[in-house]
Amino acid sequence: MFLTRLALKNLTRHRNRTLLTSFLIAFAVFFYTLMDSLIAGMVEMSYETIIDYETGHLQLATGAYWDKEEELPLENLLELDERLLSVLGNLEGKPAFLPELSFSARLNTGFSDLPVIGKGVDSAQLLKVFKLEGQFVEGEIFTPGEYRAVIGKRLADLLKLQTGEYITLLVKDKNNTFNTIDLEIAGLVHTVNPNVNNYHVYLPLDLVQQALDVGNQVSKVVLRLADRSLAADLAGRLQNSLNKDHPNITVIPWNQMEALAFEDVSHLENQLILMITLLIAAIAIINTVILSALERMGEIGMMKAMGLQTREVVYTFVLESTGIGILGGLAGLLFGAAAVWALVSYGMDWGAMMGGVDMTSFGIPVVGRTYGVWNPGAFLFVFLFAVLVSSLSSILPSYWAASKDPVKAIDHH
Amino acid sequence: MALLELKGVKKIYEQGKIEVPALRGIDLTVEKGEFTTVFGPSGSGKTTLLNIIGCLDKPTAGRVEFDGRELGALSKKDLAMLRRHNIGFIFQTYNLIPVLTAYENVEFAIRLIGKHSKDEIRERVLKILDAVGLAGLENRRPNELSGGQKQRVAIARALVKEPKLVLADEPTANLDSKTSQEVLEIMVKMNKELGTTFIFSTHDPQVMEYARRMLEIRDGLISEDKRRES
Repeated sequence: MFLTRLALKNLTRHRNRTLLTSFLIAFAVFFYTLMDSLIAGMVEMSYETIIDYETGHLQLATGAYWDKEEELPLENLLELDERLLSVLGNLEGKPAFLPELSFSARLNTGFSDLPVIGKGVDSAQLLKVFKLEGQFVEGEIFTPGEYRAVIGKRLADLLKLQTGEYITLLVKDKNNTFNTIDLEIAGLVHTVNPNVNNYHVYLPLDLVQQALDVGNQVSKVVLRLADRSLAADLAGRLQNSLNKDHPNITVIPWNQMEALAFEDVSHLENQLILMITLLIAAIAIINTVILSALERMGEIGMMKAMGLQTREVVYTFVLESTGIGILGGLAGLLFGAAAVWALVSYGMDWGAMMGGVDMTSFGIPVVGRTYGVWNPGAFLFVFLFAVLVSSLSSILPSYWAASKDPVKAIDHH
Repeated sequence: MALLELKGVKKIYEQGKIEVPALRGIDLTVEKGEFTTVFGPSGSGKTTLLNIIGCLDKPTAGRVEFDGRELGALSKKDLAMLRRHNIGFIFQTYNLIPVLTAYENVEFAIRLIGKHSKDEIRERVLKILDAVGLAGLENRRPNELSGGQKQRVAIARALVKEPKLVLADEPTANLDSKTSQEVLEIMVKMNKELGTTFIFSTHDPQVMEYARRMLEIRDGLISEDKRRES
């Protein structure tokens, strides 16, 4: 108990050093909580961006199609039969669903051409499943049977295209025969999703099915639910109900799709970067303990002469460092909470911060403000981690000091 | 009755490949209640002898017995426990803990023993501080005390646990002559009142005047062992 009291009193011994070390820990904790909130907010935003413009909440395709999905094959497509449409139409909550036929094509203007991803869709369903409704910067959506298309504004800018002008899609049909589809540009969209802006060409499904010679088949069916948290559960139930009549169909919820897999990797990288911040705090603690130990060497020698054992001397140092960790951790949590509150409430306008630059032009899916996310688990984790790092990093230097021969320690200068 | 017995104690320090003998074969018996000074020129081995007697250092050869216990057989932990319970130290540089008050510095030593109640501790600490002339200064920190007052705190810290032996390494070296005299008188008083054995190392002739036994060390050997009637 007395050693505990001594350790706590030692916290006030070199106030400036204690405050400086605590400040470094506080900064590390503050930075971690802020970055965690921001990263979580951005990940959340990325999820929404991909769900809202590319994947929806659930997708149905044949198992064989999923294996080669990235190649946009015209094999192993899904037959849109009555039974399947009936199952989809009778789903609980009546979610919107979009049959989609995706294909690779080259977009030719007569002067230049670019590789694009064609999407044969029903225009009404497209606007129900994906959030394209308010994203038209020019023109409008097409209607079924029209030889008209909607493309991204950025793609149009690259090819110097405007609404009303004509483009040609060069495609290979199911039989590997070249074909072309001539289309008038009906509308231009600009979204937070760079893939939509740069590569997607939406056109009527019936035209595509005809041009690709795939009959009534589609690549997949995309579903939009009331909430993404319903996806996993519905995917299971839908899979069960399809197993009997459509055993080749696999239902995949949004969080299992390849398009979202990169998020986990980037999250891990960010965690590593943040760990480095805390490592800096550990170095600060080690530095502080070594300085304290050197200054108190005579005192340590005296304590050992009085009969203290090495572990008891180490205990006082570790407790002192733990105190610094707690002080810094609490201060960091306080500042972190204030910063996260501001981020959650007001968000951060990256574009404005970069001088009005459109972040999507760099492939960064950010339009408008990015908001933070409260994560109490991160607060608890970083606080405990800071205290633990403070305690553990003091053991070695304090052991070094405490295990010195008392005679040498007393005579230390 | 002997508190300390040293037989053929040698201590050799190694400095690189060179061996430097600090003690060359000390035979010494110290009875309980003695008030002894160890004097001699610098480098004669005074501090080394005190360190070995105080269980802070081990001899290279020879045998040391403290209160009937052979020290060579004890582990580091046992030696620490022996120091904790039986030996008080007074250092030339006081070595008080700056964040603790005079009271707490003294309290520290008795708390380590861990067998006294809170009230007993308070009573003993206040009593010893009063005995060394520090009544009323209990709540002062070391930086609020003079050199003499600090050394009195160190004496109180060494004595509060009522050790069998107090070792003082040049305790008056940093004090003026008047303060040295006051400090020495306190130690003589404690020696008489508590029967505590004191061993000093010193250069100071004033200290030797107070001693009842004087050991002169030269070149690592006891060259003279004089006793004075009290």
